[in-house]
Amino acid sequence: MYKGLKLRLAQGEPAIKDLQNAGMPEIFRGVPQIDESKFTAEELKKCQAKCPTGAILPGPLRIDLGKCTFCAQCTENSTEGGITFTAEYHMASSTREGLITNGTLPALTPGAASEKIRKYFGRSLKLRQVSAAGCNGCELELNALGNVNFDLGRYGIEFVASPRHADGIVVTGPISKAMSSALYDTYEAVPNPKIIILFGACAISGGIFEDSEELDRSFLKEFKADLYIPGCPPHPLTFISGILSWLDRK
Amino acid sequence: MKPLTVQNQRAFELSSIPELPVSEFESEVRLILSEGSRMMGLFEVDRTSENKKVLAVFGNNETSQIYLVKCVFPKGSERFHTFADEFPNTNYFECELAENSLIVPEGHPWLRPVRKQNTVLGNIPYEFYRMEGDEVHEVAVGPVHAGVIEPGHFRFQCHGETVYHLEINLGFQHRGLEKLLLTEDDSKRPILVESIAGDTVLGHSMAYSLAMEALSKTGVSLRASVIRSIAEELERIAMHLSGLSGIANDVGFAIGASSYGRLRTLVINSLLLISGSRFGRGLVRPGGVMYDLTDGAVKKITENLLEVQKDVNDINDFMFSSTSVMSRLEGTGKVHYKWASDIGMVGPAARASGLKTDIRQDFPYGAYRYHAMQTVRLDTGDVFARARMRSLEIEESLGFIFERFVDIPQGEIISQMNPLKENMGVISLTEGWRGEIMHAILTGPDGKIKTYKVKDPSFNNWYGLALSVRGEGISNFPLCNKSFDLSYSGHDL
Repeated sequence: MYKGLKLRLAQGEPAIKDLQNAGMPEIFRGVPQIDESKFTAEELKKCQAKCPTGAILPGPLRIDLGKCTFCAQCTENSTEGGITFTAEYHMASSTREGLITNGTLPALTPGAASEKIRKYFGRSLKLRQVSAAGCNGCELELNALGNVNFDLGRYGIEFVASPRHADGIVVTGPISKAMSSALYDTYEAVPNPKIIILFGACAISGGIFEDSEELDRSFLKEFKADLYIPGCPPHPLTFISGILSWLDRK
Repeated sequence: MKPLTVQNQRAFELSSIPELPVSEFESEVRLILSEGSRMMGLFEVDRTSENKKVLAVFGNNETSQIYLVKCVFPKGSERFHTFADEFPNTNYFECELAENSLIVPEGHPWLRPVRKQNTVLGNIPYEFYRMEGDEVHEVAVGPVHAGVIEPGHFRFQCHGETVYHLEINLGFQHRGLEKLLLTEDDSKRPILVESIAGDTVLGHSMAYSLAMEALSKTGVSLRASVIRSIAEELERIAMHLSGLSGIANDVGFAIGASSYGRLRTLVINSLLLISGSRFGRGLVRPGGVMYDLTDGAVKKITENLLEVQKDVNDINDFMFSSTSVMSRLEGTGKVHYKWASDIGMVGPAARASGLKTDIRQDFPYGAYRYHAMQTVRLDTGDVFARARMRSLEIEESLGFIFERFVDIPQGEIISQMNPLKENMGVISLTEGWRGEIMHAILTGPDGKIKTYKVKDPSFNNWYGLALSVRGEGISNFPLCNKSFDLSYSGHDL
């Protein structure tokens, strides 16, 4: 027992205190900044064509964070400073359009969630995760939310085993044909009112797998997502800061 | 006719692979297998030709050689006699070939779907294996599981709580990845490769990059090689910590689960300092690495890893000396040497059953050519051995990284890639944290990629998991599953 106590004491306080303002190393690739004036017309074309997911949109130049895998290959294809990735991790959005940005995100207006959602889920939100052909990158980051560093449980937000106990689903992966019906079933099994959160570029847009013939994304045509968390995979802090702002929590 | 003998990541001319008619192919393959090699790939190549052609890839841990033979089938009679009756390690490869290319392995002991849910050989309905009798019952689990994990379907045949047979049905994650990899867009392929299994970003992107470098005869600086191997070992440490955290969680050892989890954060944050991504995405590209390792990063990472080294020792000490933990781990989910070797298991799971197999040692690549890894083996093949193996590998990898930090070679970090050579092929093997990764890339007469075959270590090991739960209580399944820690997406592609 003493060994256990000693071990516990030696580890100190691993929880990150302020998850909205946690420091991020500069090398982290978060919200991109765009300076269109640094591009020649030719460079612009090349830069667009070379984006693996076609996330770079012309006139005025913007990046679709719902498609972006944050590979930063575009920074190689422009003059210095044309596109740079900042360490800014706040980039969740409650609308799909909100993810299309030139660097200044319209940001998640605090309390973008409806009155009803805030009333029901503001203090306790249980989520069921569905991996629909996710590569385990997003799944690992969602698991990391529960560890002692991020400790999402402190806000009453938790992942549960049964959809019957859940208030919504978190989808990861581009949604393969074989997972399509299981995704519908899981969603159906969640009691009303319920929310849908899309986690990662694959879930939001199909990401790098957009052109695959093995996908069936009909679920997202039928149901509208409430919250979009961009990234490949998204950093746990992007999820936490996003969901807290969305629910108007401190 | 002798098979073509090549080394890991050495390009070869496609015309030098012997093309054999079916009967000769059968006897040649049996000869190769009987000499102690195991199958690493069996897939259709040259899809435009009139006759179906299949390339068989074998590796021999003792000789460090890779053997290749090709079979040409007469039109309308795409069948060969199975090898799985005598060499079970070919079983699953033959199932995959039957599913993908409709080539029949005659006399195959048990033709199962690989990525389809209920058909084999195109449209033949497949029924799950079923046990019958009083009090026999079936438990079906998935595709959606209780935890935050990938989807797959499991069928248990039970009598009371005892599992007699587990059938694993995968394919829910199939994204058509190998087809997408044939893209001509060089900027897309690395991102696809990093997503084969998002927990083995470095293992797969190394296999891909080394293959592309071999095919284009591009040299990589020593500095880039060392940075790659440091990142690869960081990935190994991080995933082993994540696995140990899961095992501790599954036996209800809360302090272990949270402590290993905390240490994993330190390790992936170290990877973030190198690559800007907690999973090492965007770091390895054909030609080298995209980010240099700064002195500041080395200093910070050393600090992190020293903390990990100290704490992981304390936690290991506590966990592996706790009788309540050990009683759950020891003797649970045994896969003994003979089974592991027969079915061709790879990686730490195989080493926990006493097999001597590690690509870093047997087919050294990149920086491992100059800096040998000491790989560890255990022999009990139970959950304890697989857990202990992972903690031992953490120590080994930490030691490797500290040694590299002492003297990182100077030089450019990325070299300009030459165009791919025409009509060439390469077999690229790396040791991901789960074990042997194989990428086979073949180019056409225009120098474009015509065949891309990927094998994740999970492809070898899923059957090991099925064997490990035989005779176990069904409640031990999660523990056995976590001890193997296999990839669904890497298998399903």
